[in-house]
Parts: sequence; structure tokens; C-alpha cells
Amino acid sequence: MAKRDYYEVLGVAKTASDDEIKKAYRKLAMKYHPDRNPDNSEAEEKFKECAEAYEILSDGEKRSMYDRMGHNAFEGGMGGGGFGGGFSAEDIFSQFGDIF
Amino acid sequence: MAKTPAIGIDLGTNYSCVAVFQHGKVEIIANDQGNRTTPSYVAFTDTERLIGDAAKNQVNMNPSNTVFDAKRLFGRRFDDLPVQSDMNHWPFDVVSDSGKPKIKVDYKGESKYFSPEEISAMVLMKMKEIAEAYLGAHVSNAVVSVPALYNESQRQAIKDVGTISGLNVLRVISEPTAAAFAYGFDIRGQGDHGERNVLIFDLGGGALNVSVLTIEDCIFEVKSMAGDLHLGGEDFDIRLVNHFVREFKRRHRKDLSVNKRAMRRLRTACERAKRTLSTSTSASVEMESLFDGIDFYSTITRSRFEELNADLFRSTLEPVERALRDSKLDRGQVHDIVLVGGSTRIPKIQKLLQDFFGGKQLNKSVNPDEAVAYGAAVQAAILNGDRSEAVQDLLVLDVTPLSLGIESADGVMTTVIKRNTTIPTRQTQTLTTDSDNQSVVPVWVYEGEGAMTRDNNLLGKFWLTGIPPAPKGVPQIEVAFDVDANNFLNVWAVDKTGGEENTITVANHKERLSNAEIERMVKEAEGYKEDDRHKDRMGAKNTLSGDKIPEEDRKKILDKVNDAFNWLDTNQLREKEEFERKKEEMEVVCNPIIIRLYQTAGSAPGGASGCGPTIDEVN
Repeated sequence: MAKRDYYEVLGVAKTASDDEIKKAYRKLAMKYHPDRNPDNSEAEEKFKECAEAYEILSDGEKRSMYDRMGHNAFEGGMGGGGFGGGFSAEDIFSQFGDIF
Repeated sequence: MAKTPAIGIDLGTNYSCVAVFQHGKVEIIANDQGNRTTPSYVAFTDTERLIGDAAKNQVNMNPSNTVFDAKRLFGRRFDDLPVQSDMNHWPFDVVSDSGKPKIKVDYKGESKYFSPEEISAMVLMKMKEIAEAYLGAHVSNAVVSVPALYNESQRQAIKDVGTISGLNVLRVISEPTAAAFAYGFDIRGQGDHGERNVLIFDLGGGALNVSVLTIEDCIFEVKSMAGDLHLGGEDFDIRLVNHFVREFKRRHRKDLSVNKRAMRRLRTACERAKRTLSTSTSASVEMESLFDGIDFYSTITRSRFEELNADLFRSTLEPVERALRDSKLDRGQVHDIVLVGGSTRIPKIQKLLQDFFGGKQLNKSVNPDEAVAYGAAVQAAILNGDRSEAVQDLLVLDVTPLSLGIESADGVMTTVIKRNTTIPTRQTQTLTTDSDNQSVVPVWVYEGEGAMTRDNNLLGKFWLTGIPPAPKGVPQIEVAFDVDANNFLNVWAVDKTGGEENTITVANHKERLSNAEIERMVKEAEGYKEDDRHKDRMGAKNTLSGDKIPEEDRKKILDKVNDAFNWLDTNQLREKEEFERKKEEMEVVCNPIIIRLYQTAGSAPGGASGCGPTIDEVN
């Protein structure tokens, strides 16, 4: 699923001031926070989306990176990082004992 | 009828406190001894189990079977350094049960082993009973507070403790966040202040919690949390104890530290001296026949006490700096510095903090011993669906206390969720394989701030299998971390090319109690409850409300008591003799009924108010 635009998530213009962003976020937080919407996983997902958008847009540096590069600014940085590999099957089964 | 309110419990290292929100305000509930805080102590004797004041009151007589500090063992392994160093100061025994710490006591002539969760559950059950006695109803839901830096397994442990004690834990709330609620609730009543940046400095018996929040109207946005899980009043007591042990050695050439009872008595005396030094410039310690029949009398000045603890006191500022740094606020931008926790009464600590903020006045408007329970009760009301005006619009946006991540190649910690991220949250990272045709990737989940995973805490691990053969670096494996409002973590990994998926609920890892263990403990907890036949003598008040008293007698007592209260209200300035006469009048009516009651219950009366064990060393 493609990520929605952060400005769209918070319902503010690209030119919104810090204060407008904060106000919009708090209003949405009030609306979607799980404490106010018990057992409503849809609201919880919405809240997570808003919180993520706010984290980026409330930080001047991250906001300007986002403005220039969009979501790509925060992804792909890990491209080079790999999991430790080289496990043989025996290794894995011997360690399974630890978890189960 | 309205549903029973949910309660807020501050399960402290040293003291616990319970509160409830009802009729538009928070009430701190006093225990059967009339105290608003209850010692987190559990004692075992040949005949009974004691919890709270009754346990602490007999600690000097029964040091090795009186358990306290159980909270310091939460989510820990026996070999953990803090556990090993704490054990040196505890008069009770801690043993290893396949790596988990267990507390060993003698109970009814048998050796018993309890997990720290079980001991804490006993305290929690006590707090629940205190609330039930006050509310006159069964309580099933609670919000329980934990230190800010508690990790995932320690938070889970608290939830388990709730289950064992028969409570559904609606939320595990961080202590400074709860305290902030208490503070915010307080300032809300005083008109609109606009946005305020608030630093909560919470120094209790066992841990230091610092959090920075922004409070505006009804929203409490936590910006950062920091702390030290091993710094508090107890550590200051220990420094004092060591000081007097040295003094004793110098004067009498004897090492009293070999004697548990002497050490415990000295510790009690030191705790008292420390409290005195918050208001006086010197305190005396006087103990008859402390060790080998030697009386010990000494004094300590406030400045000497400060010198003994200088490094510890100074180190309280480190988390303050860290929390500020993480919140991206300057010292000057903090509007209020709020003191919480008994140890913030120490003048030197206040001075250091005030100096750090350039002489800014510290805020002492909340009750340091009760604020956490107060805030927990507010959160409990919200989560329980209380719609009263005072709480309906309140919302706290809490954060993760520690960074969460996975191990990538060469033991590097790849952070997926940074500490102080608002929760609930979901974050993903895309990773790839490290070698050609790698079909399995290990997903090891860690928490902590170290750059290498070996410096962090392993939460859980799983393997994503079935990755189609491909050159290294080609497969795209998405790892998603999901943290809920309780700070509980779920992790899953998906191979985006092949569609293999694997999930782990990190809660189910080794340090945690298994479901079977919890079930056993719930059963046993019920059993111990049966054992507690004696405890009612601690609270004649509770018995009075029970059904054991014939209605007629009950009315007689209540009338007399009400009559006495009315008399007290209107006669505050009478002479001592008159008060005593009034008391005798009351006893004439009440005592025969109470004595009869004890006779039917089959236990000897310990006096009308039930004195329980006396303290052998009031000095």
C-alpha cells in the first residue's frame, strides 16, 4: 500500500505554519487515539498515520527533506544493510529449542 | 447503578498508593490503618502472612522473612548485575530458579519460594482490597504505574501481576506521565495557561523518572522520558548505613554487618534520620543493644549526609539533561519543574535542580507521595469510559521509553522505532540478505540505545524462512514493528518478493512467566487469601461493615461512633479529660460487642483497635 502524503494526512496545506500543523495533529489525535476509541483498530491505524506525519512535519529538518524528496527521504537508507546470514539448517533447528 | 470505577495504583518500590476518580474528583484511599500510602512489604510468619503496615511493623523482628523491593527484581535474570548488588543489602534470600530470581522465605514452618511477581501481586491485592473496602464494591479494572524506563518485559510482568491478583490492568502507565496528569489536572482548574512545557522530576525510593511534556488544554503530549532505574531513597539509606557500620567498627572494633537483625534495625533508623535531615540540620541515631549488647548512639549532620551522597545526588541531573536534549527544548523553555516522589524533599536535591535551571522556582504543588496514584486514577477513569466533564476531554500521548530494533549483519543494532516516539506506532524497515541464495533470515529483536546489539536487551527472535534463491542484496524483506498504547511490541517480517510471512508477539519471551505459571499463581494466590484469616484483626472497621455483626449491635456502634464524631466536630477545644471521658463512653458500648465478635470468630481480641505486632525499636 502506498503511503499517503503527510500534508494530506494532517489535512493541512504545504505552506502550513508549524502552529497550524500542531493544531491539526492534536485535533486528529483527539479524534483517533485508541484511548478514545476502544476496540477500534481502524481509528488506531489512523492515529499511527497522523503521528508519523506529525513526527516528520513538526521537525524543520525532516520536513524540508520530505518536501524535496517525499517518502523516499526516509526509506531505502537501509538498502545496503543485510541480515546476518549464512545459517545452515542444522543451526536453525538447534536453536529452535530455545524459543519453543 | 453506575458501574464500579476503575482504580489507579502506584505500585512503588517502597510504598504503594491507590486512588479512585469518582463524583468529579480524585480521592486517595486510606488503608485500614488510616494511612494514605501502604508499605510494599509482605511478611511471612509461623502462623500468617502480613501485607503492608503490618508487615513493615514487624520487620525488625523477622528480617529474613519480610520481603520488600520485589519491584527491583522485575523482568530481571538472577545473574543481572543490579540483582547481585541488591542482594547484598537484602536480609531475605534470593535464589536462582533456572535463571529467574526467586525469593525464599519460611512460611508456617516450610520453605517457600516466590517470584517477585507473586510478591508484588500480594501488594497489589492488598491495594485492591483497600479500594474495595472504601468503595464497598468489587473492583476489577485498574491502571498501574511503572517507572518510565521499564522495558517491555518489566511492563509485561506488571500485567501478569495484575492477573495473579485478580485485576484486569487496563493500562500500564509510566510514573512521570501519571504524575503529569495530576499536575495538569491541577493547573487546569486555574484558567487557561496556553501551552506549557513541563518537566516532571520524580525521585522515589527505588528509581528516578524524568519526563518532559507539553500540556495544552486537555492534551498531554509526552516529548521525552529518561531516568535511572536504580537511583532513589534506598540508595541514600544504604550510604548512611555504611557510614554507621564504619563508625561502629571504629569505635567498637566489631563488624555489625554480619548480623541481619542489627543491619535491619540500623536501616530503619537511617531511613528515619534521612527524613529528619530534610527538615533539620542534624539527626540522631540511637539504638540500644544494637550488636553484641553494645548500645549505639550517634548523630549525623545534613552536610555530612550530603557529602556521603554527593555523587548520587549529582547523578540525578544526567537524566534531566538527557530528557531535555531528546525533547529539543532548552532549559529556558521549561515553564514548570514539578517535584514528585518522597526523595524530592531532600533540600540538596532541590538545590541542585534549581541551580541547573538557573535558579528557577520549583513547583511543589502536587503531593509527592500521591501524585502518581492520582494520575493513574484519572487515566483509569478515562479508559473505563467515565464521561464526566472533568476527564472526558483529557488525552495523554505517551512515548516509547527505549529504542527498538533488530540485529543486522555483524551485530549492529538497526533501530526501527526510536526512543520517545509517540505510541501507538508502526514503523517498518526494509532489509535484504547478506549472502547469495540465503533462504533464511534471523530476526532478532532488541531494545536499548547501544550501537551494537550485545549492549542491548534481547526481546525475542524468530526466523523468516523460505526466501527464494537470489543473489545477496536482492530480496526485499520488510520488518514491521507495532507498539500499542501499553508499550507492548509486535514484530513481523515479510519477504516482499516471495510473500513469506512470520510474526512474533515479543511479549512471549523467556523472562516472562508462562501462561501455565500465571494460572498456577492465580490459584495459589486464592489459597493464600484463605490463609489470611488473621488479617481482619488489623481492621475493626472492615469487620464492622461485614455481616458477622447482628444488625442491632451494628446500629448501636454506628450510632455511638457518629455521635462521637459529631461531638468532636463541635468540641475541638475541650480539655484532655473530656476527650477521654467521651472515649470511655464509646468503649462501654462498643467493647462488649467487639469482644463477643472475636469470641465467635474464635480468635483472641488484641484490643478494640487491634494493635497487631508492636515495633520493638521506637527509640
